[in-house]
Amino acid sequence: MSLMPFASSRPLSIGVELELQLLNCNDYDLISSAPDMLRRIARQTHHGEIKPEMTRSMIEINTSVQHEYAALVEELRSLRNTVADAGRFLNIAVAGGGTHPFQHWSEQKIFDAPRFHYLSDLYGYLAKQFTIFGQHVHIGCPGPDEALHLLHMLSRYVPHFIALSASSPFVQGHDTGFASARLNSVFSFPLSGRAPFVLHWEDFERFFSKMTGTGVVESMKDFYWDIRPKPEFGTIEVRVCDTPLTVEIAAAIACYIQAMARYIMVERPGEPQEDDYLVYTFNRFQACRFGLDGVFIDPRTHEQRSLREDIADMLLRIADHAAELQAGEAMAQIRQILATGNGASWLRQTYAHEHNLSDVMQQQAKLWMND
Amino acid sequence: MTLSAYLPTWPLSISPALWLALALVIAVLVGEGLMRYLRLPRIVGYVGIGLLLGSAGLNLIPELPAAEWRLLVDLALGILLFELGSKVNLRWLKANPWIACTSLLEASATFFAVFGLLLWFDVAHVTAAVVAAIAIATSPAIVVRTVTESRARGQVTERLLLMTALNCIYAIICHKLAVAFMHDEAGTGLIHTVLQPLYLIGGSALLGWLFGSAFNSIHRHLGQHEETFSFLLFGMIAIATIVASTLKLSPMLILLAAGLIVRYRRQRPRTFLPHFGSAGAVLVVLMFTANGLAANLDGLRDSMLLVLLLILVRTLAKLTSVLVLARFSGINLQQALALGIALVPMSSLTLLLTLDTAAAFPAFASGLGLVLMSSIVILELAGPILVQMALRGAGETLEEKT
Repeated sequence: MSLMPFASSRPLSIGVELELQLLNCNDYDLISSAPDMLRRIARQTHHGEIKPEMTRSMIEINTSVQHEYAALVEELRSLRNTVADAGRFLNIAVAGGGTHPFQHWSEQKIFDAPRFHYLSDLYGYLAKQFTIFGQHVHIGCPGPDEALHLLHMLSRYVPHFIALSASSPFVQGHDTGFASARLNSVFSFPLSGRAPFVLHWEDFERFFSKMTGTGVVESMKDFYWDIRPKPEFGTIEVRVCDTPLTVEIAAAIACYIQAMARYIMVERPGEPQEDDYLVYTFNRFQACRFGLDGVFIDPRTHEQRSLREDIADMLLRIADHAAELQAGEAMAQIRQILATGNGASWLRQTYAHEHNLSDVMQQQAKLWMND
Repeated sequence: MTLSAYLPTWPLSISPALWLALALVIAVLVGEGLMRYLRLPRIVGYVGIGLLLGSAGLNLIPELPAAEWRLLVDLALGILLFELGSKVNLRWLKANPWIACTSLLEASATFFAVFGLLLWFDVAHVTAAVVAAIAIATSPAIVVRTVTESRARGQVTERLLLMTALNCIYAIICHKLAVAFMHDEAGTGLIHTVLQPLYLIGGSALLGWLFGSAFNSIHRHLGQHEETFSFLLFGMIAIATIVASTLKLSPMLILLAAGLIVRYRRQRPRTFLPHFGSAGAVLVVLMFTANGLAANLDGLRDSMLLVLLLILVRTLAKLTSVLVLARFSGINLQQALALGIALVPMSSLTLLLTLDTAAAFPAFASGLGLVLMSSIVILELAGPILVQMALRGAGETLEEKT
């Protein structure tokens, strides 16, 4: 099977996908109620798309193609309300966050659809351990080569996106010490990591047909890369973010990526190099482990600073682009996260106050459902 | 010194408690066996062994003295009712009024179906109303126990718990009203017909509220240590049960109301050990076995047709009500079918209501009381299997593989 041609999309258009957790209202453990939720939602008209995911305790909401913060956050709020209302009707709580703090992976049930059963057979317990919740951000690109250029330029900033969205410190009942423990689950997949360093679409197509030739992959969906091209949409998809605790933060992070993409496309600050990836996994680990306090090593200058400083610096550099994209409110939100902490710190503070992960989960759901 | 000073004298005088203890051990072993080899709920074993060894079966074990049996059932049922109440989120009714509609429809359909059937069998109006009121209730004991054992969760499970709590409340209140009418017919004056149910509902609600509030404040101050907390709770349930009996209120209504109030006021759910720890679990097992021992199947001999029709009509009433409103309340037909079937069990609560009526009206004891008792035995044995089947069918159970 060959790769489909790269569709054209309006440059810098954005789309957001959020995977959400479904919880029962007794002990706030995950509940396999996706079919009930989807049946309820199917009877209403709503924006965007609401879809099943791998296990039955998660659903995914997708926005339509958007161009700026105000409309994006509006659509996300409306999707949130649709899902939250269905939840209230069925006594199911819905929450953001990258992991469920105490769910047991072996109790998850696979959603009844051929692709999910195929994946479950292939990956075994990994598929059920994949009960983790991420935010994916699509950025429209004018053409395939531009997409690959943007992909490799953005890779340097992957730790920014991880640290800002990180909201999965708890796994299986314990504080892992990570800000985003969710990504540790992603890394156990054989085809996770980064895209190969190719800058031209023909090279990428050659790589893809060699991979399909080996029989390892069938489609782009089989790559679990941090950023991957999505030719049918004409976008690249940033996949490293945890689902934040509110839709407002999700929209702000999407617009931060968008503003950075505009900065890269318009100012062309240098060309990507293979050696940029020497520090990639180190930086990414620092972001997962320590969040905004993680160490960031600049791949070119080898200068070390905290991620918080690097993001603050980036906010200054992209300010004009953000203004151009009407993203002032989004940038204010990002500054707010730098000052008061990400989702992981909110969760740890709430736990210190509640002493009980069920209660933390209830607060988390309340926050997300805007109760 | 003679031999008799330290050797037992023949024939041995054995406390009846030994037989109960023995029955308990056998019941637990059989229950475990049923679960492991046939994947049946353990309660079937508890009730079944009681039934087999007791007066309705092989008559190997003498009947428990009524007072002791009653204390046991009051306590165990109290625990289960409080547990049920604390699992149920009343706010859900506001977010989804269709569940309230389903519950009301299901209860009234059951009442009128059974009432109609009994009239057709030429039963007097008041007596028919008493039986129909009792028939509204789904067994909280079987529902809570089976849900706990199969670790079920999902739409069917949650609706089952909520609708069981509600129909128990309706049943207790309607039963008191119907009994009040019965008293009136027996010539004790209109005033009691009005005052008695008022006293019952008002008094039980007040005590339930007091109990729930006391529970909440105790919990706030020493909630974290699970074991201490379970013991305290257990003591409080015993106190509430005994106070309720002293004040001639319904202990069942009080504990159910208390559980509901705890959940409603706290807003935060709290996960307790099943039956609030192993002491509670022992009482629950004991209760089911004692129910089996006390089983009375005379009604089956004298009026088998009526017993079977009563079960059939009651089942159909519950099932169709749930099916009719399924779509509006947000479940599919398969789930509605499961929910309707899971609402069928009868057990301790129904039994206590029947016995209370029988104690006040000897004619009831030798007539329809027996019909009800036989229906209870059947639905106590079949009930857990039906609930388990229903929850499995709905894909909501999480049983350990053995």
